[in-house]
Amino acid sequence: MAVSNGVSADEAVMEVNETEVQDAPALRIYEVGYHIAPETKEEDLEKVVATIRSIVEQAGGSFIAEGAPSMTKLAYPMFVREGEKTTEYDRGYFGWLKFEAPVAVARSLEESLKRDKNLFRFIVFQTVREDTRAKYKAPQLREVKRTDVIKQAPRRVEETSAPVSEEDLEKAIQDITAE
Amino acid sequence: MSNNILTQNDIQHVDYKDVDLLKQFINPHGRIMARGKSGLTAKQQRAVEAAIKRARFMGLLPFIQK
Repeated sequence: MAVSNGVSADEAVMEVNETEVQDAPALRIYEVGYHIAPETKEEDLEKVVATIRSIVEQAGGSFIAEGAPSMTKLAYPMFVREGEKTTEYDRGYFGWLKFEAPVAVARSLEESLKRDKNLFRFIVFQTVREDTRAKYKAPQLREVKRTDVIKQAPRRVEETSAPVSEEDLEKAIQDITAE
Repeated sequence: MSNNILTQNDIQHVDYKDVDLLKQFINPHGRIMARGKSGLTAKQQRAVEAAIKRARFMGLLPFIQK
């Protein structure tokens, strides 16, 4: 149902551009990032994500990309107050969702996420359809070329290997003395 | 030679989840580099700033680092 809605809305947008009709809902690309509380069980993560998805789907949104929640260490401790109680978080399951939806969704999604007790932080913002993840690899601090590599003495290798013929030995001695 | 990392690596969009990339634009204290130092264009600098601030809010990057 969501897909068919999305398609019809897409056509509606085209109409807006052509004839400037006011009543068609404009679709925009949004991304939502969230932290699920670390005490949540691994098997319940899917349920929490499903509730977020259902909010978007009910409002006629369609999904573009998704990042599954994974345990992430926070760069600083976060404190969340719930009445009298304050909870400190130093880690959380971080996941994200990218979707296309009418403008009103952004606000209603924020409202309902605020009420979600499983999430201790989230962000909703407008973005672009293209994949924004950069394929960038941070450079290593320094690539040191080792110059002090110890080369195995060839003499030893010969000793450990199969018996050497007299001729080879003589040749080797001559090579050494010639230098 | 410019030291514009975004142009050199052909990066069109800056994502707040790309922590490794954003770390190139903050100093050891966690502060955002000035344009003169980052070598970015004004448009790129604004995108990087927004991404770093989102990453900070979501706890992916620190606000300050001692």
